[in-house]
Amino acid sequence: MTTQLRETDVVIVGLGAAGGVAALPLAEAGLNVVGLEAGTWLDQRDFAPDEIRNNYRDWPMLVKKAEQERPTSRATSATRANQIGGHPMMNAVGGTTLHYWAQSWRLNPWDFRVVSETERRYGPSRIPYGSTVEDWPFGYDELEPYYDRVEREVGVSGQAGNVRGNINSRGNRFEGPRERDFPMPPLRWTAFHDRMADAASSLGWGPFPGPAAINSEAYQNRPGCGYHGFCNKGGCPINAKNATHITTIPRAVDTGNLRVITRAHVTTLEVGSDGRVTGVNYVVGSNEYFQPAKVVLVASYTYENVRMLLLSKSRPYPDGLSNNHGQVGRHYFSHHQGAGVSAFFPYDLKSWYGLPAQGVAVDDWADDNFDHADLDFIGGGNLWVMSDRRPISAANMGTYGQSRNWGSAWKRFIHEHSDRTHGSYIQKTTLPYEDNYLDLDPTVTDPLGLPVIRITGQFKNNERAIAGFMQDKMEEWYREAGAIEVNRGGLGNTMGASTHAYGGTRMGDNPETNVVDRWGFSHEAPNLGVLGASVMGTSGARNPTLTSQALSWRTAEHLVDNWRDIAE
Amino acid sequence: MTDSNRRPPAISRRDLLRTAGAAGAAALVPGAVGAVREETPETSPTASPGAGPAASSSRAETAPLSSGPLANLTARETEILSAMIDRLIPSDDLGPGALDAGVVRYIDRALSEAESDAADAYRAGLAALDTYSRYTREGPFIDLSTVDQDSVLIDVQIGAATGAGVGFVGGSGSFFNMVKSHTWQGMFGDPQYGGNVNFVGWDLLDYPGVRLGVTPEEQRLLEADQLEPVRRSAYDYGMFG
Amino acid sequence: MKVSLPVFMGAALLLTGSAATGLRGQEPMTFIVESPTMTTGRFMPRDYSPDGRNLSPPLTWSGLPSGTRQLAVISQDYGAGRPPPWVHWIIYNIPGDAGGLPEGIPFDPDHPMPPEISGAVQGNNGWGLPAYRGPAPPLGTVHNYHFAVFALDEELDLPPGLDRRELLLAIEGHVIGQGDMVTLYERQPMNQFPR
Repeated sequence: MTTQLRETDVVIVGLGAAGGVAALPLAEAGLNVVGLEAGTWLDQRDFAPDEIRNNYRDWPMLVKKAEQERPTSRATSATRANQIGGHPMMNAVGGTTLHYWAQSWRLNPWDFRVVSETERRYGPSRIPYGSTVEDWPFGYDELEPYYDRVEREVGVSGQAGNVRGNINSRGNRFEGPRERDFPMPPLRWTAFHDRMADAASSLGWGPFPGPAAINSEAYQNRPGCGYHGFCNKGGCPINAKNATHITTIPRAVDTGNLRVITRAHVTTLEVGSDGRVTGVNYVVGSNEYFQPAKVVLVASYTYENVRMLLLSKSRPYPDGLSNNHGQVGRHYFSHHQGAGVSAFFPYDLKSWYGLPAQGVAVDDWADDNFDHADLDFIGGGNLWVMSDRRPISAANMGTYGQSRNWGSAWKRFIHEHSDRTHGSYIQKTTLPYEDNYLDLDPTVTDPLGLPVIRITGQFKNNERAIAGFMQDKMEEWYREAGAIEVNRGGLGNTMGASTHAYGGTRMGDNPETNVVDRWGFSHEAPNLGVLGASVMGTSGARNPTLTSQALSWRTAEHLVDNWRDIAE
Repeated sequence: MTDSNRRPPAISRRDLLRTAGAAGAAALVPGAVGAVREETPETSPTASPGAGPAASSSRAETAPLSSGPLANLTARETEILSAMIDRLIPSDDLGPGALDAGVVRYIDRALSEAESDAADAYRAGLAALDTYSRYTREGPFIDLSTVDQDSVLIDVQIGAATGAGVGFVGGSGSFFNMVKSHTWQGMFGDPQYGGNVNFVGWDLLDYPGVRLGVTPEEQRLLEADQLEPVRRSAYDYGMFG
Repeated sequence: MKVSLPVFMGAALLLTGSAATGLRGQEPMTFIVESPTMTTGRFMPRDYSPDGRNLSPPLTWSGLPSGTRQLAVISQDYGAGRPPPWVHWIIYNIPGDAGGLPEGIPFDPDHPMPPEISGAVQGNNGWGLPAYRGPAPPLGTVHNYHFAVFALDEELDLPPGLDRRELLLAIEGHVIGQGDMVTLYERQPMNQFPR
C-alpha cells in the first residue's frame, strides 16, 4: 500500500554532486525541498585511511542499490552486452563526492563551441564522421558566474591563469577568463611535482597546479588537506575534501527548507494527463511512498537519470518520460581516460603522502589549444601528473621486466623501487556519436525486476587518434624528467561504465536532438529538470563534476527566478 | 627499517611448516608480535593536519599473536598454503616474509569476514596444487626443494598447470592470482586485519606509515630521507570506531 | 605417433624464411643441433614440460662456422601465439666455445649459470619470464617445438630480458651460422598415482 505524502515544491532525486548543490539555492529561496537519497549519511569516523577496506573491499560502496543496478555494456550493437563488474558510483548523502578524487575543473571555452569553432578553423569536414556533437546552447561566459559561485560555496583551491584577460603564467594560460581568483590557493607540490613542472617548462609547455574541491587551507571552518595518501576512493577523515554532505547540503538543511530522506529508492516518476510530472514513487525498505511535487529534478547520475526516464512510461510518454522525440539515452559517451602511460624512474618520487587532486597539469595539448591543420583528429587531452601511492598498490607495481613479480629477487626489487613508478591517465576530448547510446537491457534486471541500463559505446577514430597523440606527449614529458622506462596502455575500444559518463539527457535548444532545454528543463515535460553530466554534450579534457555543479546551480536559480512559469 | 624491529625466525622454515599443520597457525610465527596498540601522550588527533601523533619508532613489548586453529582451512591446507606464500614472499636477509607477517591468519580472517566466496576456491586450489606437485615433481608440495616449489608455482601462475588435469577450477592462473592478491593484502595492508604483523610489510617498502596529516616540514623530511616511520594501524587513531 | 614429413619441411623453412642475414649479405651456413636426451622429430621427455619438472633440455651443437664468437638460442612454437611463434625460451651471450647447453638452466637469477656457459643471460619468453618454460599445448593436440641456435661473429654484450623481436634485431648482420632441431610434445593428463 502506497503512502501518499504531502505535496512539496521540489523533489530532488539523488543528493550527490549535482543534487547536493542544487538543494542550496532552492532552500535559500524559501522553496520546500525534499531530497530523496538512496544511501545514508556517512561521516569522518567512517573514513579510516585503510587501503584494504577502501580499495580492495570496496568500502564505502556497500549500500547495495547501485551494485544491484549495474549496467550491462557492449561496444556496438553487434556484440553481446555483459553486466559490468562493479558499479563505479556510490549511494550516500553526498554521493560519490564522498570518496571521489575531487579534481574540480572548469571547461575551456572551446568545449562549448566544438562545432562552430572546428568549422571556422578547419572546415566542416573535420567534424568526425558519425558524431552527433552540437554546440552547447550557451558559451563559457554564461556559465562563468556559476563556476565562480560553486567554487566558493563548495570550496575549490587552485591557481587562476586568466583573470579578466590578465594572464598569469603560474596558472593555465588557456583557460576561459575568470572574474576573480580561486577562493583558496592551490594544493602544495612535492619535489617530484617541481621536477615535472621544470621538465614541462623545458619542453616549452606551461605547467600549472590543478584545481581541487579540497581545502588547501582552513576554509568554512574545515581544515586544510592532510595529504595523508588515502584520498583515492577514500573519504576524508578531517573533512578537507569538499563533498556536498559537509558543504551545500547541511547549509540547505539549516535553512529549514530541505528535508533529506535517506534509504529512499526512487523507482518511477508519475505524470498527469497533461504531460507534466506530478511526483515521485519511492520505497524505503518494503514501504512504498508517493511524493507529490510541483517540480521534480532528477540527479541520480547519468545511468540512473536515463533509466528513471525510460522506466517511467505513461500515456503521454509511451516510450519513457520526456522521450517522445527518442532522445533519451542518445548522445551518450563516457570520457576517454584510458590509454594511460606509466614510467619508471631511477629515483624515489617521495609520493607516499599526496592525493590524486594534487599535481601538475599541462593544457597545451587540450581542446584546440594547438594547430590541428595537419592532424587527423580534433580536440586533445589534459596531461596530469598527480600523487597517488599506497602500500598494497605500490607492491603490485610492474617490474618493468626486471624480475618475476614474487620471490626473493622480487623482494629486492620492491625494496629498492617501491616509490619509483608513476602512472598517468589522460582525460581527452570525447564526442557523442550516433551509435553510442543508453537503453534498457532486454534481459538483465535489478532485484525489483526493473531492467538495468545497457551501455552501447565504443571509442571511435577521433578518440583513438587523440589517445595515441597524447601518449606521445606524456612519454616525452616523463623522459624529460628522467624516466628510464615508459609503458603505454592500449588505445581503447569499449567505453564500458565510467565515473565520467555524459549525455543521455542532453541539453540544447533543439527538442529534436536534445532532451532538456538550455536551462536544464525537459522540452516535453516543463516541470521536470535534469541535473548532472547527463545534460552535457561534450566532455572537454577534464572532469565533469564542477561543470555539472555549476549547471545545477544555474538550473536551480532559473527555477527560483521563474517559479510560477515552471511550477504552476 | 631499523634492525631492532626485525626478528629472525626462531626455527627453520621447513620445521615451521611441519608444525603448522599440527599446532595451528600460532606455531607459524614464533616470536612475532601482534598489531601495535600504543599508549601515547596524545589522544585522537585534532582536525588540523600535522597535529597527529609523533613518530614512534621505539615500542614497548606487545602481546604475542593470538593463537588458535584457523577457522576456514584444515591443518593440511594450512601447511600447503603456508609453503606457497613462503615462496611468494620469502623470509630472507632483507627481512621477514609473508609467513612472519601473519598472512595465513590474514587470509583465514578474510575468508570469514569479507571473502567467504573464496573458501571453496582455496580448498580446490590447494588440493590441486598438491596433486600437480606430486604428479609432476614427484612429491607433495611441502616436501619439494624451494627450487622445485618455485618451478611449480611459475607453472601454476602461467596457467600451464591447468592442462595437467589436476583439479584447478577455472585455470591454475586464477588460483595463483587469488592467493597472490590476498598475500599482498595481508603483507602490505593495515595490521588491523591480522597481517603486516610488526609492520614488516610496510618496512619492506619503506612506507613511512599512516598519518592523518603530513605537514610541509614532514614532506621535506621525507624527501631528505629523514622522516621517522610511524608504526600505527589506522585504527590506532581513536576516531574510527 | 608417426613422424610426418612436414615437420622437416617446417624446420627448413625456418632456416631460410626467417634467417637473419650474415655478414655482407652472405647466407649463414647450417650446422647440426642435437640433444643427448631428445631426438629430432620425436616426442620430447615430459620432464622438459610442465607435465614434469619443466627443466630446460640439454642441447649440443657441432660443425659451427669458424669465426663463431658467441651463440644465441630461441625455443619457439609456430603453432601458437598471436601472431606465432610462441616463445618458450631465449638465451644468449653464450660463449662461442660452448659445445652446447646443459640440462636445467636456472630460472632464478640468484642461481648462477653453469660454468661452461658462464656469461649467458636469458631473455623474456612469451610469458614475460627470463626462463625456459616447456610445452603446454592444449590437451589432445601435438605441437612442434624448435630449438634454433644462432652462431654470431661477434661477442655482443646484450642486456638480459630481450624478447624475440629485440634479440633478432640485435643479432641482425652477425649471424654466420644457424642450426635447429624440432621435437614434438603432447600433454599427458594426470595419472591417479604419482610416478
